[in-house]
Amino acid sequence: MKKLLIILLSITLLVNCTDDLRDATDFTSIENPNLLEPLFLGQPNSSSVWLEGMDRQMSLFLNEILILAELGSDNYENTQTFYSQFLDNLEIRIDDPDIRDTQNDLARLREMADYGLEEVGPQDPLFNEDTEAEYNFFKGMSNLYAGMYFSRLPEEPGAVPLTAEENYASAISSFTTAIGLNNKPEYYLARARAYYYLGRKAEAVADAQMVIALDSDLLRFARFDETDTTAQPAVNIFENALYERAIFDDLQPLPTLDFLDPKYSFVSPEEDAPIYYLKAEEAYLILAEANLSDGNDLTAQQNMTDLLSLIDTREVRSIDDTIEGRTQRAPGSRPDSTHVVVNGRSDLVLYRGTTVVIEDDGSEKVVPVIIDIPSISGTSLTQTEIDGISNDDAALELLYRTRQEVFMAEGIRFADMGVKLVMDLNEILLNDNVAEGDPGTVAIIPPFINAVKNDLDGFTYDAEAGITTTTIDLNAILVANKNSDDVLPFN
Amino acid sequence: MRVQKHKLLWLVFFITSFAYTQQKDISGTITDSNGLPLPGVNVLVKNTDKGTQSNFDGVYTIKVNRGAVLLFSYVGFEQKKIVVGDNNVIDAQLIPSASELEEVIITGQGSGIAKRKLSTTVDVLTADEIDKLPSNQIDQLLQSTTPSAQIRLSSGQPGTAAIIRTRGAISASTSATPIVIVDGVRVDNLNSNAQLGIVTGGANVSALADIPTESIEKIEYIKGGAATTLYGADAANGVIQIITKKGTKGKSSIFYESRIGVIKATNDFLKYKRTGEVFFEPGLSLEHKIGINGGGEKVTYNFAGSVYSDDSYNDINKQVRRSLSFGLNANVTDKLRYQGSFSYVGAETNLDFNANSGNARFSDFEGGDLGDLDEITDEDFGPIRENYLLRGALTRNESTVNRFTNSNKFIYDILNNLQVNTTIGVDYRTVVQNQAVSNALQISRGAFPEGTSDRGSLTRALRNNFVVTGDLNFTYKAELNNFSFVSILGGQFFRNTDRQNRIEGSGGLDGTSRIGFFPTIVARDFVLENANYGLYFLENIGIFDVAFIELGGRLDENTSAGVDTDPLFLPKAGITYNISDHDFYREGGLSTIVSSIKLRANYGEATNFAQPFSQVETFVPNVFLGGLAVRFDQPGNPDLISERVKTVEFGLDLGFFNNRINLSGTHYDGTTEDALFVPNALPSSGLRTQVTNLGEISNSGWEFAFNADIIQTENHLLSVNFSYNNNDNIVEDSGGSPAFVVGGFNVIGSVIEEGQSLGYLRGTSATRAEDGTFTFTPNDVLGDTFAPNFGSFGFNYTYKNFNFYMTGDYQFGGSYTDLNFLLRHLNGVDNTGIPEDLVGTTSPFNYVNFFVFDNDFVKIRNIGASYSFGDKIKPFSNIVLGFTATNPFNWTSGIADPEITGSGIAAQNGFASGGFAYGTESAPRIFLTSLKFQF
Repeated sequence: MKKLLIILLSITLLVNCTDDLRDATDFTSIENPNLLEPLFLGQPNSSSVWLEGMDRQMSLFLNEILILAELGSDNYENTQTFYSQFLDNLEIRIDDPDIRDTQNDLARLREMADYGLEEVGPQDPLFNEDTEAEYNFFKGMSNLYAGMYFSRLPEEPGAVPLTAEENYASAISSFTTAIGLNNKPEYYLARARAYYYLGRKAEAVADAQMVIALDSDLLRFARFDETDTTAQPAVNIFENALYERAIFDDLQPLPTLDFLDPKYSFVSPEEDAPIYYLKAEEAYLILAEANLSDGNDLTAQQNMTDLLSLIDTREVRSIDDTIEGRTQRAPGSRPDSTHVVVNGRSDLVLYRGTTVVIEDDGSEKVVPVIIDIPSISGTSLTQTEIDGISNDDAALELLYRTRQEVFMAEGIRFADMGVKLVMDLNEILLNDNVAEGDPGTVAIIPPFINAVKNDLDGFTYDAEAGITTTTIDLNAILVANKNSDDVLPFN
Repeated sequence: MRVQKHKLLWLVFFITSFAYTQQKDISGTITDSNGLPLPGVNVLVKNTDKGTQSNFDGVYTIKVNRGAVLLFSYVGFEQKKIVVGDNNVIDAQLIPSASELEEVIITGQGSGIAKRKLSTTVDVLTADEIDKLPSNQIDQLLQSTTPSAQIRLSSGQPGTAAIIRTRGAISASTSATPIVIVDGVRVDNLNSNAQLGIVTGGANVSALADIPTESIEKIEYIKGGAATTLYGADAANGVIQIITKKGTKGKSSIFYESRIGVIKATNDFLKYKRTGEVFFEPGLSLEHKIGINGGGEKVTYNFAGSVYSDDSYNDINKQVRRSLSFGLNANVTDKLRYQGSFSYVGAETNLDFNANSGNARFSDFEGGDLGDLDEITDEDFGPIRENYLLRGALTRNESTVNRFTNSNKFIYDILNNLQVNTTIGVDYRTVVQNQAVSNALQISRGAFPEGTSDRGSLTRALRNNFVVTGDLNFTYKAELNNFSFVSILGGQFFRNTDRQNRIEGSGGLDGTSRIGFFPTIVARDFVLENANYGLYFLENIGIFDVAFIELGGRLDENTSAGVDTDPLFLPKAGITYNISDHDFYREGGLSTIVSSIKLRANYGEATNFAQPFSQVETFVPNVFLGGLAVRFDQPGNPDLISERVKTVEFGLDLGFFNNRINLSGTHYDGTTEDALFVPNALPSSGLRTQVTNLGEISNSGWEFAFNADIIQTENHLLSVNFSYNNNDNIVEDSGGSPAFVVGGFNVIGSVIEEGQSLGYLRGTSATRAEDGTFTFTPNDVLGDTFAPNFGSFGFNYTYKNFNFYMTGDYQFGGSYTDLNFLLRHLNGVDNTGIPEDLVGTTSPFNYVNFFVFDNDFVKIRNIGASYSFGDKIKPFSNIVLGFTATNPFNWTSGIADPEITGSGIAAQNGFASGGFAYGTESAPRIFLTSLKFQF
């Protein structure tokens, strides 16, 4: 037994004295494979991959806001899903986790921009002005969206919430900085939108004109990765809701907008459909609205004609939409035929089913009807309608109908309705500067919207007669209330 | 050399005695102290290898020489020696050994402590009890057989996880699954889908399903509190300790057992008859087991192996299982013993898609996606049936598990009263999962147009989990006048490395399972690694051998703690007072009625550590469209420490009429301090959520266990058992964090909120006011997801060689959401119980209270009978014929099965609220016959 003890003792001594063996016997060492802050900062090109991160964050934010904004507006109706369970009826609650996530993702975009400007950029030897401009642009976009969707939102963690106007002002400041670093048209367009919602017509017009001068068919878009399966994937969630979930039959458009759906559809196994969040069309619409408000109907006509020409150049995708199931589980509940007349207008509804073709050998074959859907901008606007524009409310209604169509599935309609979301319950409880009941914690719904909030998606459909009538005409309602501070900022 | 001489002397003696004596037949009956026959007693002729065993009537016969010494040995009894004289009949009465009187519990570390000295309670399941149960899954073995464990089968699909709890939900961020230790070695206990595992939408595969259950000597279920203090970093949920067979000294025995069963789904909880008609088809289970057990003075051994397969209760599920296990005890020297065990389990399963999956079939039917199924005409239903059967045939959710577990224990008696124990062992579990979502499957469910051939996908998830455990401890026993001392001092470490890879191929053709054949490939990985090590001590002081004081503690260090933290010291203290062991009591009259009285009280602390790496700030370089997109990840928390459960417990154990009736009552009061919460971040910070030591959770309750031998005669033994437990669970403090959802949905969620039970159900309720209108209450409290009252019951009846038993369990007082019903209602096909004047006036999400039901149930889990033929049929020493019915009867308060809550289990051992019954099948009924031959 003594021998055994001696052997054991020797082994113990070896274990303790030999460095090489320590590697084999050290049970306490662990390796964290994740990327830690000190290892990231200072790496060459860290500022550009950080910028990519912000680009992706923009996509994540759009995933959140589009569901809320499109359901909250008259554009889409939630027929079945658990996507936002409240917004469809404009029920805006401080404890809605979707609003919480929207707020959080928006703040993250800004925090990433700040961190890029303060830490990542300065420590990266390859940091350049173009990247710095982009950081400022995203910071501005965060403030711009804060103003568009929230009546009050803090600009710093736990800070005093800024009003929408203050957020717009802050956005303008960031965009101005970005323009100073890199003269890109999208920075002007973003700033034009901020001026637009502030009602600062002259500046909005100036920036809109700058956009057209720099890039008359400008497109800035958020990209989505179809292969992303992380916890919060940067896939196009709105595309899932409109198209990819297919038989789930999730979100359905107002019949007047049927011909524009689904704007997002399958692209490739690698890349999901992009979301265009700044496009030259907006500049023409701003100019047209400014001209109408100034009584320049002819110039407005020219703006709209230019817009129509631009839209004509935009991509139209031919897709097989047979699997979407427009008619839902209750067949006949929604218009699904080209013969249907909506509010007295034809050609707004497409047929998405199958048809029978006769093959060369005389046999019959069932094939899907391929439909053409604009993937960037589409409109029912015609030159004849443009030619009829004069200085009256009908022109404004036409303009707002066009805005709605062009910005379909892009979240703009909700902002145009003057509705504002609330700060989340967590902000109320954790931010010393916010208390329940404060401005910003109560939803802003203009009274003329509130009066029709249950009818936003409403319509009647007589399948036999092929006639559909929407319960309300929201464009008419908006224009009728053009003097309200909440809508039509140039009036 | 001295030993050799000794042997030689014996040899000489034998040769001479053989030469001068004659052999004769000896027979006799071996009984216990109550005169009951003892079957299977080893009868050895001393110093020879000759021996026999008593039969089922306790009778033995053997040829021996006059003057030889017969040794009668039997587990749990003192060995008895009788010298063969003139008499040819030698009856032997064995008395229980002192060690049996003092049942030893391995609890904690060290060499084990007599149960009567412990202030904590441990539920024990013995080999005999395990052998007669039909399941080979640890959670199902413990279900309804342990008095105070609440084990809920979350899906009937093979290899899936049960939600296990004992003393309430102690953590808001981790699962309530106990750690599992096999022969002192920790094994993988991931009781949920792995982080990157394939998802079938509601049925979670579990590592508990393939923990080796062959050759179990006993299972100790240790419930937490002071009993688990010494186990270390994540033992707060309790410990399931498995001790395997190492062989028994004496004649070798061999057994072969065959089990054949029929598995049949239950229609009890179906809304539509057609669901069962389409999907369910009875399956067959087959199992063959073989075992060898034996050994001599120096070495004993045990081997068991089995193959099992079943094709389950529906058209998709399948399960195959193979296992090998080996145990060894070697007396290396007089002072050194080695105990080794090795086991291998291989399992293969195929699962159906469940609830939260676009491919789910069962929930399409039961959720009313196709309307009222039973109302559809046969003509219309035909194509639906064909389509769903086709989808079934195209479903591939395959998992292959291989697990190796090895334990090595060295016991060295330095002195008679000083022993050193060393254990080192490993558990390696590797899982390969394949999930194929083919073009054909997608087309069949209408997701892709007919003719699509380039959208098929294949996901392969790989997980390797490796655990190493090491332990070294010294046990010192001493007596001083009327005081006894057991001192244990030791150190323990374990480290766990969990490596997961997930490869997703898409855009492929059907017909291949090679991921390289898919044009778009995305790879992801996930690693968790942690090391935990601690020093522990325990002092058990006996006073007059009736009262015992325990003092102990563990100094615990963990690599998952934040950099700004110190090692944790976890103390424990306890006192036990065996009043009935006093001489005055034993001599008094009361002892004939109340035969034992034990009072106990203790205090102890145990912890759960946070998920490894969650303490540091990280950045994530997401692969985004082929490039890198870096973002903030978790903010990090340098102060992160394990959550600490402080438990005070007191109890009373009473035995009546010579312990024929036993009653045990325990009250516990546990508080989780520094509870790990993952609260919502301040939205304006833009931060992601971060696990934080924020909350306080309390659990208090009573545990009562009753068992009695109602009939105890020479031929009849009828014992019954019943337990009742209650648990009051409250989130005492959420650290100022507002309520957050940890399961379910936004409109009807499982929520953590101060003043409520952990994971309670919350949603908008509608109640009718006096004027007939409805009042809507947002964020209303709709019930506790865990039933606060639960227990088990059963009986065991033996008549000679016939055995009949039943086990069952029950729960009441909790609630669950019947999501299938909610979906049926959303689909407009089921308004059961919802006021007509409410339907259609508002969103169903504004009256979710109508979808919440009581989760009360009483379920009979097993009914079984067996008959031992004994040695009547040669050449077998025994043949046992058995029959069991699993899950034969159940009573529930709602129409759904409240156990089927797999969709509420968060991945990677996250919190499992279990409040949503949804889209997966209940545990099936299994009718099993078994035939066991012993040689």
